[in-house]
Order: sequence, then structure tokens, then C-alpha cells
Amino acid sequence: MASIARSSLLRQAASTTKFSAATRPAFQQTSIANAVRATAFHTTARRDLLPPLPQRVEGTVNDASPVPPTSPSHGSYHWTFDRLVAGSLIPLTVVPFAAGSLNPTLDAILCATILIHSHTGFQNIIIDYVPAYRTPRARKLFMWGLNAATVVVGLALYEFETTDVGITETIKRIWTA
Amino acid sequence: MAALRSSSSLLLGAAVSRPALRIAAASPVAVRGMAQLADGATHSSTAAGSQTGAEKQPNLKTFQVYRWNPDTTTEKPRMQSYTLDLNKTGPMVLDALIRIKNELDPTLTFRRSCREGICGSCAMNINGTNTLACLCRIPAEDKAEMKIYPLPHTYVVKDLVPDLTQFYKQYKSIKPYLQRETPAPDGKEYRQSKADRRKLDGLYECILCACCSTSCPSYWWNSEEYLGPAILLQSYRWLADSRDEKTAERRDALNNSMSLYRCHTILNCTRTCPKGLNPGLAIAQIKKEMAF
Repeated sequence: MASIARSSLLRQAASTTKFSAATRPAFQQTSIANAVRATAFHTTARRDLLPPLPQRVEGTVNDASPVPPTSPSHGSYHWTFDRLVAGSLIPLTVVPFAAGSLNPTLDAILCATILIHSHTGFQNIIIDYVPAYRTPRARKLFMWGLNAATVVVGLALYEFETTDVGITETIKRIWTA
Repeated sequence: MAALRSSSSLLLGAAVSRPALRIAAASPVAVRGMAQLADGATHSSTAAGSQTGAEKQPNLKTFQVYRWNPDTTTEKPRMQSYTLDLNKTGPMVLDALIRIKNELDPTLTFRRSCREGICGSCAMNINGTNTLACLCRIPAEDKAEMKIYPLPHTYVVKDLVPDLTQFYKQYKSIKPYLQRETPAPDGKEYRQSKADRRKLDGLYECILCACCSTSCPSYWWNSEEYLGPAILLQSYRWLADSRDEKTAERRDALNNSMSLYRCHTILNCTRTCPKGLNPGLAIAQIKKEMAF
């Protein structure tokens, strides 16, 4: 796919240099040619999603930066819960294959833990890359989108567990290594 | 360890640079001729030395330095290359920068003070690694160009000078001083056991050069709210202090989603620290102490 995009960009580069030579001022010509030449050799398009803002100092330079309010549910409890879930995934993944038995309860617990684990993981990604101080509405949208996705996946997994074979059995069937 | 490194290099540096100095002193005419400016159009300059019949071959090395001048805001930042003879330059990158500023281009701007890795002024990005220019050797056997940039993802004041306002504001926000209500038992000083003092080793040595914070991707994205490794290491320095009585308040100040928990254990901080400290471990200790 990258090579297709690249060849089209090269064609574009050729066309701009050929036809627009007379119509554009000299400085524009060189800059456009350079930009196209640069993009032609990149496999992905360069887009500044959140370009850096000009520097802004809150208060004077001698004021301390503000300390956010204490909230353990977003801080230490959240982190501890995250680690416990991630840690419990290891035995939950190993046990069904090691024991060789398929326990539907264990399977359901594994499903739920994976779901919670990925939910908090995606939450972390959103907090990192969609900053609330800069894009509060996008943050809200992403967070609710994630909640909706988790609910949908949760329902789907419930259906899969109750009416189909369940996740461990599926992996067993697919796994042919 | 850092002290050992710098002292041995100083000895070596003296041995290397002395003959060159003697030659310069012997022929006073050649002193000014040691540095020569090439034509300005190519932005390249040389200080190859002009003595004739020298017994030593000039050991040339090119330094590409990031240049940006706030007075000409329409101009983009550019890389300017300078070529120095390493036989006449000290062993460290800071020696080279000082020589460039003295002899080739007085407009080059950078911070420096102690030249022995104790002030943290000359933190910059050298060949892709954040380090102190005074503790970073010029690889003499390697002929490749050295690239010198300001600390990454900082607002640049000029050339190699980054703006550390936010860094210092965040340092102030953790209250980096002893907080204590009860007076000392003997009315003189706050005493500490040897074991308690040992907890501060590896923390008090931090010189706040900002090498670790500016190497942290998480700090690049969220420097407005995330404190960054250097400030968290200092935070732990006061949390671990047996004489401090506001440990609970200090923990509460970190207990939110942004200040501490944006650390994802990338460990660029530990890898880059020019003083050999371990901010990653300090952050892990804070997390562990706050977990249960």
C-alpha cells in the first residue's frame, strides 16, 4: 500500500514541477518541490495532530506549578488495581492449558479479566495522548467511546461464553502450532 | 563514578593539550591564526591550525551544532558545522564548544559553569543522548561528525539554551525542603541514624540538569501535568527522609492520575542520567509505597 501511495506522490511531484513552473513565484516553486520530494520518500503521511503550542507560563515564573487535588481512585488505587488484574492474568491464562480441563467459570473469569485489563490499558493510552487540559471535549468523546466499546465487547463475550464454546476452547481449536 | 571519570579525563586532557599550547606560545603571531573562519556562505568554519612543519598530523573533527536565534524569528533553526583540530582541544565536548565560542563563532550560545559535572548547566543532546557536555568525551578514534542539539522537547531560548521554567516550577511544587513541626530533642539538630542516612544515597546527588525529564516520552507529551523523573526522584528524596514529618501530605500531592502515574517505566531516565542515578527505581519505590 505504501508503494502505491509513494508512486502517486512521485507522479504528483513530477506534475507540479512540470506544469506549475510558470504560474507560481520562484520561492513557492522551490518550497513546494522540496516538500513533495520529502513526502514522496515517506511511507506515511505526516500530519500534526496536536502541534506544540507557543510557550505559556501560568502565573509568574517564580510560582510553583499547581498541585492537582488528591484522588486515590485515579491514582494509587487505580494503579494497584491495574497491577493486580495484570498479575492475575498470568495464572488464569496458564491454568486451563496446564490442567487440560475446561472449567466454564474459570473461562468466564479469564474473559472478564482480559476485558478489564484492556479497558484500563486503553484508558491509560487516552489519558496520555488526549490531554484533558488541551482537548477536553475529545477526551470526553474518547472516554465514552471506550466505555461503549467495552460494554459491546462485554456483551459479545457473554454471548460467546453462554451460547458458544468459550474462549479457551476457541484458542485450542485455532492453535495448530 | 562520575568524579572518577572526569578526573581521569582531565589528566588525559592536560597531556594532550599541552604541546599545542606550547607551540602557540612560542610563536605569538600564530596565536590568532589558530582559528580561521572560512567563508560564511557555507556556514562551515575551521580551526585546523596554521603552524607549518608541525610534527603532529591535525586530527580534525566536525561538530554540527543546532543554531536558532530569537532575534530573527522568521529564520528556521539550522545546523551549523564547525571543524576543530582535536590535538588542540580538550577531551570533552564542552571544551570543544568553548573553543568554538572563543575562536570561531562568538555568537554560539550555551550554558556552562563548573565544567566538572556538578552544576548541571551544560545539559544537552549530544549524538542523540541527553548528557552533560562536560562529562561527554569526544570520541577521538571515530571520524564521524558529532551532532549537538538542545535538550529535546523543550522551548529553546537560543541555540543550545533550553527554557526550564516549567521544570523549576514543578520542582517548587513538591516543596523540596525539610518540613517539620516538632523541635529537635537536643534543641540543636535533627539527628538521623546511619541506616536512615543511607536511604538518601543515590537521591541527594541529583543536580537537576533535566537530562532525564527531557528524555522521557511521557514527559514530552504531558509536561504540563506529569512531574517527570527528575522531580519525582527529588520527591522521593523527601519522602525517604526520616526527619521529614509531612510524608503523608507529600504522598497525597502525588496521588492523582497525572503527577506520578504517567510514568510507564520506559526507563530512558535511568539510561541517560549523566550522574549514574536511577530515577526509574525512585519512581518505582514511590509507587510501591503508595500501593498498599
